[in-house]
Amino acid sequence: MSQTILEVTDLRKDYSQRRGLFSMLTGQGRVIPAVDGVSFYIRENETVGLVGESGCGKTTIGRTVLRLTDASSGRIVFDGRDITTLSRAELRPLRREMQMIFQDLDAGLNPGMRVRDILREALTVHERPSDAEIAGRIRELLEQVSLKDSKLANFPSELSGGEKRRVGIARVLAVRPRLIVADEPTSALDISIQAQVVNLLRDLQKNLGLTYLFISHDLPVVELVSQKVAVMYLGRIVEMGLAENIAHQPRHPYTGILWSSFADKETTEVSRRVRDVTVERERRAWGVFDFEQPASGCRFAPRCPLYQEKGHPAVCTDPASEPQLRDVGHGHVVACHFA
Amino acid sequence: MDAPLLAIENLRTYFYSRAKRAFIRSVDGVSLDVARGETLGIVGESGSGKSVTALSAAGLVTAGPGVISGRIHLHSNGAQRDLLDGLEKYARVTEQDGRVMAVEKDERGWRKHSEALMAGVRGKEIAMIFQNPRSALNPYSTIGKQLVETIRLHTSLKGEGEARERAVHWLERVRIDSPRLRFDNFPYGMSGGMCQRAMIAMALSAEPSLLIADEPTTGLDATIQSRIVDLLAQLKTETGITTLLISHDISVIQRLSDRIAVMYGGTVVETGRAAEVLAPQAQARHPYTAALLASIPSAETIRRKSYLQAIEGEVLDTIEVPRGCRFYGRCNRVTEAIRESCAGLEPPLEEVAPGHKVRCWLYPAAGKA
Repeated sequence: MSQTILEVTDLRKDYSQRRGLFSMLTGQGRVIPAVDGVSFYIRENETVGLVGESGCGKTTIGRTVLRLTDASSGRIVFDGRDITTLSRAELRPLRREMQMIFQDLDAGLNPGMRVRDILREALTVHERPSDAEIAGRIRELLEQVSLKDSKLANFPSELSGGEKRRVGIARVLAVRPRLIVADEPTSALDISIQAQVVNLLRDLQKNLGLTYLFISHDLPVVELVSQKVAVMYLGRIVEMGLAENIAHQPRHPYTGILWSSFADKETTEVSRRVRDVTVERERRAWGVFDFEQPASGCRFAPRCPLYQEKGHPAVCTDPASEPQLRDVGHGHVVACHFA
Repeated sequence: MDAPLLAIENLRTYFYSRAKRAFIRSVDGVSLDVARGETLGIVGESGSGKSVTALSAAGLVTAGPGVISGRIHLHSNGAQRDLLDGLEKYARVTEQDGRVMAVEKDERGWRKHSEALMAGVRGKEIAMIFQNPRSALNPYSTIGKQLVETIRLHTSLKGEGEARERAVHWLERVRIDSPRLRFDNFPYGMSGGMCQRAMIAMALSAEPSLLIADEPTTGLDATIQSRIVDLLAQLKTETGITTLLISHDISVIQRLSDRIAVMYGGTVVETGRAAEVLAPQAQARHPYTAALLASIPSAETIRRKSYLQAIEGEVLDTIEVPRGCRFYGRCNRVTEAIRESCAGLEPPLEEVAPGHKVRCWLYPAAGKA
């Protein structure tokens, strides 16, 4: 079995929000735990999918594990080395091994630079290759992402969405990374182009031995590309396991709802149950985004169909017993009292 | 048979790209019918012209030259009107070989005339809901106030009290919890899903004949999206409202539509009953529709972890429209027998089965033309 390349333990990331003059003066603000104690690991050459609704902390995790933003607490181990508190200078050589593909197609593409210069810049950040080497590497990169030579002279604004995405990927590949955090890599693209990019990412993984943390809300695609999937809700992982188990035998009611909102409505038992309950409630009242007053106990209880069905069991809202992830077999972990 | 509620005939809506000094042929000869009580779903990728078609029907295209020709018939409440009636005299279109070379348009006159035609139609006969509900609501006014305003403007209920009761009734019908409390909420205090519900309430409260829903679920969270689709499905059964639904999301289109029009590069390439167009093994189907359906990961693809069947190439830009079939460059079903036609001649939209039309040289019905 291949070795672990990234291990995250009890990761927390708080954002403080200051409102009003008083809190500005006293320096006290609200603290929003965007990521609230998350642990997982990724093996080399594996893809772990991270799914959940917007605001659940997926992107924050991606940014934090790459140290693009600092964790509030917890431990991030990359390739056997604790990188949680490395300084910028110490991180620099590691940067090339961990890269990110951003949701925004234009991210990292300087609008004033031609594609050739964008790639050249990426190739010379960490090394000083000769011109001949650069030319060779650019040709190789174009081939890897299936982009025509003729595009090298174009500015980003002259490229289509799919081409921009390919240039963005080529730019990331230029530094020969081992781990790539792909944050919604297809969501800004048209359907017919999405499939091209998904195929490309899988090819690259096979040929270059890449490891992906694949963040997306497109569940069928996540299921297709990932070996393992982690489902997040309000800053926590509520269920994690093999992709096919998460998709077809979800144990956490939230996973069931998430998947049924995509899959054929009539098929799953959970989705039928869900439809009878009005799930969407005002977020403020129901705490979907309200970190100010998180529901006590299980944070999903207010929206949970099981909670309603079982007649509001006290354990779900007991502040002392927030459900923890526990193993239900085959490395499948769930945070639900009734899983 | 009843005349369709909305009949769009040969609509062309162009824009002008200054950078490229050429026309963007956003909608390039679209004809569509929406029968009373049915939902017509228009599906297509970005730039296919689906939204511009809807905006043209609602008289909301503001950039130039905009709508340059066509007819939009609306038969509602016993009246029949052409929403583009008499507008041709404000636009002079110079064509050569069927291509538009120049458009001279008296924009001010055109707009004034168009506004006169749309008065009493937009908002009342044709109501719309958009992609971003929050930006369509007035941030300075409560949901209730906005609803009451709509109701008093567009229905026979003119009194404050009765309009208020009706507003609460509509909030209830779109399944907003505690509607009387929500009545006094401002849009910023509500989630995206709630705002979209309020928008739907507002659109329907005018008791329109036609509802245009332009990407009603896009941009909402996954779980919320499916709730909004559920709501639209329920309202469709309850009110029987005629709907023109626009989405890039095939699953949304599939759930809500009776008939479907697939658009590509400014034209309709396939239209027919939803069940036929999206059937798993349709006999006659446009290669683009087939490829679109194939590029969505199926249960089989996921199970076998096989490759997705991507459509090669890029989405057509509607500036340099090819002479032949617009999908020719990306099509994987061109045979030697038809290659010449595909490359040189745009296929007509021909009936391949009753009510099912396809714009492709592959199908014999098209060959007859």
